[in-house]
Amino acid sequence: MRRNGPLALIFHGLFVIFMLAPLLIVCVVAFTPEGYLSLPTRGPSLRWFRAIFDYPEFIRAFRDSLWLAALSSTIAIMLAVPAALAIARYRFPGREAITALFMSPLMVPHVVLGIAFLRFFTQIGISGTFVGLVLSHIIVVIPFALRLVLAASYGIDRRIEHAAISLGAGTATVFRRVTLPLILPGVVSGWLLAAINSFDEVTMTVFIASPATVTLPVRMFLYIQDNIDPLIAAVSACLIAMTAILLFALDRLFGLDRLFVGSGKG
Amino acid sequence: MSHLVLDGLTTRFGGFTAVDAMNLSVGRGEFVSLLGPSGCGKTTTLQMIAGFVEVDGGGIRLDGTDLVSVAPNKRGLGIVFQSYALFPHMTVAENIAFGLEMRDVPKADRDRRTLEAMELVGLKGFADRYPRRMSGGQQQRVALARALVIKPALLLLDEPLSNLDAKLREEMQGELRQIQRSIGTTTILVTHDQHEAMALSDRIVLMNQGRIEQIGAPHEVYDRPASAFVASFLGKTNVLAATGDGEGTVTVGGLVMPLPGAGKGPLLLAVRPERLTFAQAGEPGLEARITGRIFQGAHWQFSAESAAGALTLMRGNDGAAVPGEGETVRLRFSAADAAVLPAGAAA
Repeated sequence: MRRNGPLALIFHGLFVIFMLAPLLIVCVVAFTPEGYLSLPTRGPSLRWFRAIFDYPEFIRAFRDSLWLAALSSTIAIMLAVPAALAIARYRFPGREAITALFMSPLMVPHVVLGIAFLRFFTQIGISGTFVGLVLSHIIVVIPFALRLVLAASYGIDRRIEHAAISLGAGTATVFRRVTLPLILPGVVSGWLLAAINSFDEVTMTVFIASPATVTLPVRMFLYIQDNIDPLIAAVSACLIAMTAILLFALDRLFGLDRLFVGSGKG
Repeated sequence: MSHLVLDGLTTRFGGFTAVDAMNLSVGRGEFVSLLGPSGCGKTTTLQMIAGFVEVDGGGIRLDGTDLVSVAPNKRGLGIVFQSYALFPHMTVAENIAFGLEMRDVPKADRDRRTLEAMELVGLKGFADRYPRRMSGGQQQRVALARALVIKPALLLLDEPLSNLDAKLREEMQGELRQIQRSIGTTTILVTHDQHEAMALSDRIVLMNQGRIEQIGAPHEVYDRPASAFVASFLGKTNVLAATGDGEGTVTVGGLVMPLPGAGKGPLLLAVRPERLTFAQAGEPGLEARITGRIFQGAHWQFSAESAAGALTLMRGNDGAAVPGEGETVRLRFSAADAAVLPAGAAA
């Protein structure tokens, strides 16, 4: 393997610092004992972490966000699996159109989607409800689910399914015992990516959310419009810590390479 | 009684007729190869028998009952694919037991039969391996065991040995033949490898462009090719321009020889390179000039030009002197070694 030259090493180092510095600074700021955003000068304090519990809105929004992410990504993946299998295997009229339709939420700016959904949901009377939130999030995350399941579906040797059929397996059995296990890495990584995107979504959600249904990112966004204090840094630090723990656990359980690079051979 | 009958079997892909009115009867326990170049319809035929390609005309009967109307998962056939098509997420034992599981065979019985199948293909002790941890030859054995354990009415082999290297392929050929003999399952092999077809089969079905060119035992189709296609596809062959007088005598260049059954006028004769011999002094022969000579250890291979066309001939290396390049020799062959090809057929 060729070693990097000194210039390249400096470049890579700067790049990594540039990516990690904001995360690191937020985490450090969260431990400040002061009432304003500052790097702790008087030693670390858990003051702002305790303060989170004085704002039950944050806890409720976090819970709602988790539910929303789980529901919307699960429904999205359930739509994506049959769609991906059909697109990967059959040449039918409208195949390209359906693929483009499923991927289109990626192309449309989320601001536009937010306004469109607000108007549409008001029209059909589900504006400000959790159902509306779930519906809009399904649409926004489905491209991620479909992309990864599609990549996995293209990689299947159909003769493996033919072998199962010849051995006596019916359609449902072939799917459950052979097809699904073969595309599982794509399904799991698609679900994860969808869930992360749903949890993260703020641009569109800010238009649709009502006081009764506020997701965590929207709650944080609303909070910093009125207050700039280290509470938001503490919330962010908690999120970063949870994400890190989740990724670590997933890596231990399945291997992140396998989930995201999607090698069924593993 | 015929075990498997293909009766006018036809299928089309769009406007292209992939298999055209194919008729074939296979006896019980027989090993039949479908042999031909790629695109000749041999794999498509196999897939129609298996039920993965739609039949557009004609029928398939197994033991007298129609197979076309039976769903592919109810046909009870064993199939081995070129790509092995093992279930990568299951162990060897789970792979082999899959068909038994689908048949609701009780666990104890299933385990016993799985073990027997593993022994049959020489994979004892591999039960808990995953396919990706095995060599190509071992994976192919798993595929064979998985197909055989359900005691299939018919074993379909789709280029099963093509992914193996030459030495292993030869070994597996012998084993495959021996296993097939011992269990007596009627077997259809699809291959483009003529050596494989000749080594394994009771009969060879030569296919070209969706049609059957010839059916026969390996030595029959080799010695008595029914068409120029068969003659040129199977081994090397010389196609010689000749003229018949209609009374059982043909003229090949300067060689006039009796050939019973030859017609009148211009015709083509197929003669294998190893059946051409040098004429003794005084004997009539086809005059040819040697243009090339290759030594291959056990034999010499010559290329030559003659009035009847370009020739290839083989001589066993018996230590005697052989003609060199540029020399003129006279060649002959016996009437029994010449196959008359239909007039106008080009190789």
